[in-house]
Amino acid sequence: MRVVSKMIVANVLHRPIRTIVSILAVAIEVGMVLLVVGMTNGMLHEGAKRVEGVGADVMVQPPGASFFLGLTVAPMPIKLADRLQEVPHVQAVAPVLLHFNTTNGLNLMYGIDMASFDSVSGGFVYYEGGPLQHPDDILVDDWYAKANKNKLGQTLNLINHDFHVAGIVEHGKGARIFIPIQTMQTLMGAHDKASIFFVKCTDPGYTDDVVDSFESLLPKYQIMPVRQYMSMMTSNSLPALTDFVRAMICVAVGIGFLVIFLGMYTTITERTREIGILKSLGASKTYIVQAILEEAALLGGVGIVAGCIGTILARRLVMIYFPTISVDPLDGAWVLRATLLAIGGTLVGAFYPALRAAQLDPVDALAYE
Amino acid sequence: MEPIIVTEDLKKTYRIGKVMVQALRGVNLIVQEGEFVAIVGPSGCGKSTLLHLLGGLTTPTSGKLFIDGNDFGSMSDGERTRFRRHKIGFVFQRFNLLPTLTARQNIRMAQHIQGNGFNPHRFQAIVDMLGLHDKLEQRPYALSGGEQQRVAFARAVICEPKILLADEPTGNLDSENSQVVLDMMRTINRSFRQTILMITHNPEAAAIADRTVRMRDGHIISD
Repeated sequence: MRVVSKMIVANVLHRPIRTIVSILAVAIEVGMVLLVVGMTNGMLHEGAKRVEGVGADVMVQPPGASFFLGLTVAPMPIKLADRLQEVPHVQAVAPVLLHFNTTNGLNLMYGIDMASFDSVSGGFVYYEGGPLQHPDDILVDDWYAKANKNKLGQTLNLINHDFHVAGIVEHGKGARIFIPIQTMQTLMGAHDKASIFFVKCTDPGYTDDVVDSFESLLPKYQIMPVRQYMSMMTSNSLPALTDFVRAMICVAVGIGFLVIFLGMYTTITERTREIGILKSLGASKTYIVQAILEEAALLGGVGIVAGCIGTILARRLVMIYFPTISVDPLDGAWVLRATLLAIGGTLVGAFYPALRAAQLDPVDALAYE
Repeated sequence: MEPIIVTEDLKKTYRIGKVMVQALRGVNLIVQEGEFVAIVGPSGCGKSTLLHLLGGLTTPTSGKLFIDGNDFGSMSDGERTRFRRHKIGFVFQRFNLLPTLTARQNIRMAQHIQGNGFNPHRFQAIVDMLGLHDKLEQRPYALSGGEQQRVAFARAVICEPKILLADEPTGNLDSENSQVVLDMMRTINRSFRQTILMITHNPEAAAIADRTVRMRDGHIISD
């Protein structure tokens, strides 16, 4: 190891608290970037997968509805289902009334007609209990039940209404909570209405034909093959989400930059005399800048590794304690981006203190107490 | 032979706040290669300023300064740094070792900065001469004052500088260690014809030099 590298390592070890705080800041920076991206993509992908899990080939929504399900209720007459059912190559139509439930976290609730929903989805897999039979029955998926410690037969108060947990089903079929559509219509004041129709074709190959027929039948309605919906469910298709992710990244990089800046600035002040010694030995400005940037890079490097490990641990903890929140595993491209951001922020943060150190007057520096 | 140090009417004025302080008021000094010169004088007479100027740590306000034939006045900061790296060694009263490095690493740091690579023969010769074998892996806080100053000397001469500038090298040492350091300087001077300029308050220390220059109020008053 070069003697200057030994000096850098020795300096880093000499002030353990400062070193730990600096490493922690970079780790938080990297962890924030990776977790925010992982959670954003995880929630999107998981939500999209659940819609795909319904088993429909086509989704029909009223004009003006958001493709981000549940953001707008926008109900349509439920009788439209009969007209859709008459279109050639349509096997089943399941009307669903959506509601964004805010009790016990944000969750999309499906008001469903049990028979038609089963026709489209192939039916639920019941871990406990059975299908919706009474107006106050409710089905929850296994993740929701685990997160909220729900038991079969338990009373759940949602939308100011007491429900009876009739079954705990396997996750992955649209929503985490299901109630009878009639009950949802009553609670929402949307009688004989539905927010979306999930349509299953007799064969997926007829999807485009069915979409064309629906568009003739219901001009201006939002009619979309589920495969197209899946391709749209990325953060790139949601500008606001992209902005959110960017804002969080800026905050994370800002934290890393400021802590490194402060840490290195303090270091320079603390080591003024040592910088004077190096100058008296003939160290150039470049040599001093390089030594300080190498020290910052060392802190940054350890911080990046700690950030990646921390993200993996945080993801596991989220999955254990918040099973309804999905976090995508570490993505190589984002790890690279987070690394570059952290190294960039670290070096920029250390650059001014390094420059200041290099410009110290050697006589003043040697006299520094 | 051309002198290794020549100063002509060398002046240095500092600004401290709004007050201008004349540290050197026209110093004329010639030092031949291989000489051991002691510079003595009361505090504030400009000894340290002269040493800093000779070492290229600061620039003169006016006057001429030639080191080994090079005009320091016409050199940029970078050129003076490069010159210092290769031709000047410093020893300070407070030793000024890098506290996080061992004695060995402190000595090697000078070689690293010089950039000519590690010379194990030179390293061994210096360590032998200064009796530092069993101290090389110690950090400065674990060494006595005399040992620290020996390490500082090793660091100063490891790169074979043309001039060794010593600022009160015995100022922080007891009489026994002072004598060891002075003997060492004498040995280095005689063995390697090392040019040495030493600032001291100590008349006994000055007595071992070939020549004593006395300063007062920024002038040389006797030589």
